[in-house]
Amino acid sequence: MVNQLSHTLPVAVLMCVFVSIDGVSLNDLLERVSQLSDKLHSLSTSLTNDLDSHFPPYGGRLMRPSMCHTASLQIPNDKDQALRLPENELLSLARSLLLAWSDPLAMLSSEANTLPHPERNAINSKTRQLQDQTNSLGAGLERLVHKMGTSSEVLSSLPFNSNDLGHDKISRLVNFHFLLSCFRRDSHKIDSFLKVLRCRTSKMQPDMC
Amino acid sequence: MWTDSVMLAGLTLTAIFVSHTAGVSAPGRPRLTGCRSPEKETFTCWWEPGDDGGLPTTYVLYYHLEGSETVYECPDYRTAGKNSCFFSKNDTSLWVNYNISVVATNAMGSSVSEPVDVDVVYIVQPNTPEDVRVLVVDDDPGPYLHVSWEKPLAADTQSGWITLVYQLRVKETSQDTWEVGTGKEERDEEKEKNERRTEEGEREREEYNAGMQKGYNIFSLLSGREYAVQVRCKPDHGFWSEWTSPAYVQIPDYMLREHSMWIIVAVFAGFLLFVLTWTVNVKRSRYMSQMITSNMNPLPNSWNTVSFLPLLSRAQSGRSEEMFSALVTQHFPPTSSYDDLLVEYLEVYDVEKQELVLGVKNEDPLAPTRMSDNDSGRGSCDSRTLLTERYAEDGDKGGADRQLGQCVAELASPPLEEEKVEAWSAPFSPPPLHLQRQQVGGARAAYHSVLEIPCDSPCAPGSYGHQGESDISKPGGRGASTTLAEPQAQSAEYVEVQTVDHENVLLLRPLADPGGPDADYAGEDYSKIRDVIPDNVLLLQREPSAWPCVADPGQDRGERSCPTALQELMQPCKPPGPLQQGLRLVANGYVDASAMLC
Repeated sequence: MVNQLSHTLPVAVLMCVFVSIDGVSLNDLLERVSQLSDKLHSLSTSLTNDLDSHFPPYGGRLMRPSMCHTASLQIPNDKDQALRLPENELLSLARSLLLAWSDPLAMLSSEANTLPHPERNAINSKTRQLQDQTNSLGAGLERLVHKMGTSSEVLSSLPFNSNDLGHDKISRLVNFHFLLSCFRRDSHKIDSFLKVLRCRTSKMQPDMC
Repeated sequence: MWTDSVMLAGLTLTAIFVSHTAGVSAPGRPRLTGCRSPEKETFTCWWEPGDDGGLPTTYVLYYHLEGSETVYECPDYRTAGKNSCFFSKNDTSLWVNYNISVVATNAMGSSVSEPVDVDVVYIVQPNTPEDVRVLVVDDDPGPYLHVSWEKPLAADTQSGWITLVYQLRVKETSQDTWEVGTGKEERDEEKEKNERRTEEGEREREEYNAGMQKGYNIFSLLSGREYAVQVRCKPDHGFWSEWTSPAYVQIPDYMLREHSMWIIVAVFAGFLLFVLTWTVNVKRSRYMSQMITSNMNPLPNSWNTVSFLPLLSRAQSGRSEEMFSALVTQHFPPTSSYDDLLVEYLEVYDVEKQELVLGVKNEDPLAPTRMSDNDSGRGSCDSRTLLTERYAEDGDKGGADRQLGQCVAELASPPLEEEKVEAWSAPFSPPPLHLQRQQVGGARAAYHSVLEIPCDSPCAPGSYGHQGESDISKPGGRGASTTLAEPQAQSAEYVEVQTVDHENVLLLRPLADPGGPDADYAGEDYSKIRDVIPDNVLLLQREPSAWPCVADPGQDRGERSCPTALQELMQPCKPPGPLQQGLRLVANGYVDASAMLC
């Protein structure tokens, strides 16, 4: 008896350890991705403010080139629509949006340090942070997919076709500003969806949700 | 043609002139002051009208969505009050820009405001929290406030659609005036920035961030004061709500248990301190008096209190080691305890009214300056000069093993110096009493200097003996350095005469056992010298005490060589003649010279 116990006990301990290593619990994972998406949006807002400090928004708005490249993605327009979405759709939307921005952010990062703007340094560093955090959030969402065990939805493809911001100063600034505004909005969508997801799927304390 | 245009121009000018003089004109441009969404589901926009031009003016709000050309008019002008437009749920789309403008129209014309682009999700400002309650809770160190509230109406935090964080602030009502909420006057971005800036600067109001919870405890409040509490909230990406109207609460009077405890501790400590110092004082005074009296008692008036001054001062400093070292090193003979300070000595009085004090020399043989050398004709070791020589020689040797059996003569001047009992010889030159001593201890060489008294007592000729060995047997004449030189710097040690046997030998032993010399010591122990008879013999006056006659004093050896051997001291006593004196040995070993004269 004792021998059996001594054999099974370490195995049980190891199993426990593995389980704990593998999980971050679902609640914690959702909390983490929510916080990360929150930070991502805050950073994009700050970057927009830096850009607007010297760049007249009026001019920017009027010269809005086109629609955001993610506009084709069907997203809920209001709360009722959003709350009707199942969890996996919410997650899928978030992931699609995030994926759609990986290329454009890379392009913005490369363009940021030559941007003709007095706040170039701050803009440059924040753009890089934006890129890093987007990648982290993407990785976190991947884990969440595995955790939740949802059937892997096919992510929408949202191609980004521009290679650079333009050639002249004005168009570069305008395009930079435009892309950033698109990203700011999309990051808000991601954050909203993930927070809805957080309150819905996890057993959070009634205080929080 | 020309006249028509002139007339038209004239009419226009007249119309303008007339209209101006009449006070009516097209309305001025209205201005959109801001839009807000309380729950991310609806929103409201406000504008301020421009100059109305003196005519009734209507305001119409138009909007179109970004990417669409369809222009819509405001669906609801009433719900939100005057000069406002309320967008209901159906009319609200998220994550899309609204391009809004207001047109003011009156009879004279219309004017359009600046367009404003609004995305609803960026203009969220919730209502104030609801149902703020404040409770005073009694607790151990002191009461604290428990503040609780509810989420604002219409905010859907349950589904996670909106995430709110709360903040509260506490103010003592006696402090500066309270500015309750700024209301909803201006809503554009600049006003918000200003507000935020002032919020940062208002730190002195003690704002507490409560996170997402709906309760908070506030500690460390002053007793007896009235406090006001306000709460507000903010969505994750949005604006702070207004503060709730203040909730007032009164803190009851209480005494900090900490304070009362410390007061008790302080009182107790003060009391203890007082008792301690008082006890120490009492003890010290007692100790001091005890020490003084015990030191003073056996001493004759020869002992000067001056000697004790360093002692006393040291004792007062409370360090007994210091005191004893002072005793040992300074002027006192070395003793193991202060009781050893008691000096036993012989006093011999000169009949010729010169008092001889035969005392134990304590130290400092170099005080010969005070001594009168009446030792004329004595070129022996008895001479003072030789003595000093010896001392000078051996003084530095410290307490090496010394050999006893020296002849020592101590001549002192009549007035006794401080802490020195010196023996001196009277104007005559009595032979010093040679006393063989015993070396006691290492560093503490001591010796007795005793006057040699010729032994002529009826007592059996005694011999002076001593314990221990004496190395004095040095054949040879006088001047032989048989005298034990004493370290002058060292304090002398007292030797006590134990017995005097019949051969006039004093048996000495170190003063380790003072016994009760004091007890037997009385003024009556002094002997008076009755007469000095030829041959340098002191005649002591006998006292009526019945003391055993033990010895006869030794003989004067003035012309002889130093008694280098015991035998030399064993002089037969000459019968004194009319006087029959003898050395009497006190029971504890002291020689009572009073009964002695041989």
